[in-house]
Amino acid sequence: MFIARSEYDRGINTFSPEGRLFQVEYSLEAIKLGSTAIGVATGEGVILGVEKRVTSTLLETSSVEKIVEIDSHIGCAMSGLQADARSMVEHARVESQNHAFHYNEPLRVESCTQAICDLALRFGEGAEGEESIMSRPFGVALLIAGYDEDGPSLYHAEPSGTFYRYDAKAIGSGSEGAQAELQNEFHKSLSLEEAEVLVLKTLKQVMEEKLDSKNVQLASVTKAKGFRIYTDEEMAEVVGRLPTN
Amino acid sequence: MASIFAGAPPNGAPGYSFAQTPTAAPSGIREHSFYPYTDNGGSTLGISGADFSILAGDTRSTSGYSINTRYAPKLFKIGGEGPESKGARIVLSVVGFAADGEALKERLDTIVKMYKYQHGKPMSVAACAQRLSHILYGKRFFPYYVTAILGGLDEEGKGALYSYDPVGSYEREQCRAAGAAASLIMPFLDNQVNFKNQYIPGSGEGHALQQRVPEPLPRKDVEELVKDAFTSAVERHIEVGDGLQMMIITKDGIEEIYEELKKD
Repeated sequence: MFIARSEYDRGINTFSPEGRLFQVEYSLEAIKLGSTAIGVATGEGVILGVEKRVTSTLLETSSVEKIVEIDSHIGCAMSGLQADARSMVEHARVESQNHAFHYNEPLRVESCTQAICDLALRFGEGAEGEESIMSRPFGVALLIAGYDEDGPSLYHAEPSGTFYRYDAKAIGSGSEGAQAELQNEFHKSLSLEEAEVLVLKTLKQVMEEKLDSKNVQLASVTKAKGFRIYTDEEMAEVVGRLPTN
Repeated sequence: MASIFAGAPPNGAPGYSFAQTPTAAPSGIREHSFYPYTDNGGSTLGISGADFSILAGDTRSTSGYSINTRYAPKLFKIGGEGPESKGARIVLSVVGFAADGEALKERLDTIVKMYKYQHGKPMSVAACAQRLSHILYGKRFFPYYVTAILGGLDEEGKGALYSYDPVGSYEREQCRAAGAAASLIMPFLDNQVNFKNQYIPGSGEGHALQQRVPEPLPRKDVEELVKDAFTSAVERHIEVGDGLQMMIITKDGIEEIYEELKKD
């Protein structure tokens, strides 16, 4: 078994005899090393939350950017190789602006997710006539939150190019524990404030460091305000609302 | 008549026969030209109502004093399925150079269909209007030689009508006439649809007279206006006639009506 694997895990676009693409599977492993990111969709909007790994007391925590804006109505949280996410986010931003330019309407969240996933498998040598941009699969997973004509929605996009819509989803190193917690705690009638607490509470359980307002980051997407990253004051307020135990 | 090969063969040979081929080099200046556009005449018009839009066009196609055909539609359903364009909700009318109009229709139709596959919803008229503008402007320096009018229903179910110039400048309007008889029809529409130069009797003297406020017209009245506009245009313009094609977009789909016009 191991011998077979070492034969077939070099080629980026070569199937193993069992029908597996090892490099793609390894890229999924890379995400499991990343910091935890959580998204929860409610009827009012979507909450995204990430843990920031503060590796040094000298680190300026505001420079850790794991939640970014794609358009005024779409944002995303990431886990895995940060640098890889940049080219995906850049692509999504261009796609979103192009859509607004051509059609005078905001891009749908699902279409935006699809656009990102279109990139995911453009690695390897590239087919004839088409330039490939990456030599390996992306090592990052995204939680894409947005608000469109169908209301709020949350999508999870993987390096394999597949995506699914979720009510609540956790990715990254703590994802297993966090997902189980979300499974228990999520219900359809969650308010935005309750979702904020649920996200932080879940993060708190899976984080190695002690959660404070500096080592986590929240963002929301709502109809009224669109995508918004929480300010330090708002973070402090939500963290203050967490039940103490 | 603006022929595609205006100027060829040039005056004074070579002609079409080898016997006439000159043996000496031609003297003097010779000018070659290629004119890629033809004016195929005809007229279109569009009017939007409270819950419908109507587009109309005559079906004559001309080249100078000649009639190419008495039935060449200028109205096209956009984004429907199959040759019948089933399920279409948007109508495009084009007048000017028929070949460009056809090409423009094909492009827009493809884009609207692709949009539905990519975004999982039918394209709104507003989105289609913006897209059409960009298609036209994309050929800013070799334009589609057409005046386009796009009709449908907006997000609230109200009639929506967008008119264009050949390079994509566009505007949402209540009514618009385009093509050869536009200058004949448009003043009529201004008066009958937007109530221009209609004043409320007894509302004042001179400049104090109050303008009659335009309101969306009922469908029956609009259909009559369209027919009147075209029968009048046929009388006064040689490039307009043969048949009148109308498409009425309502929440139930697109209704198509064809009527004869004078063939002289």
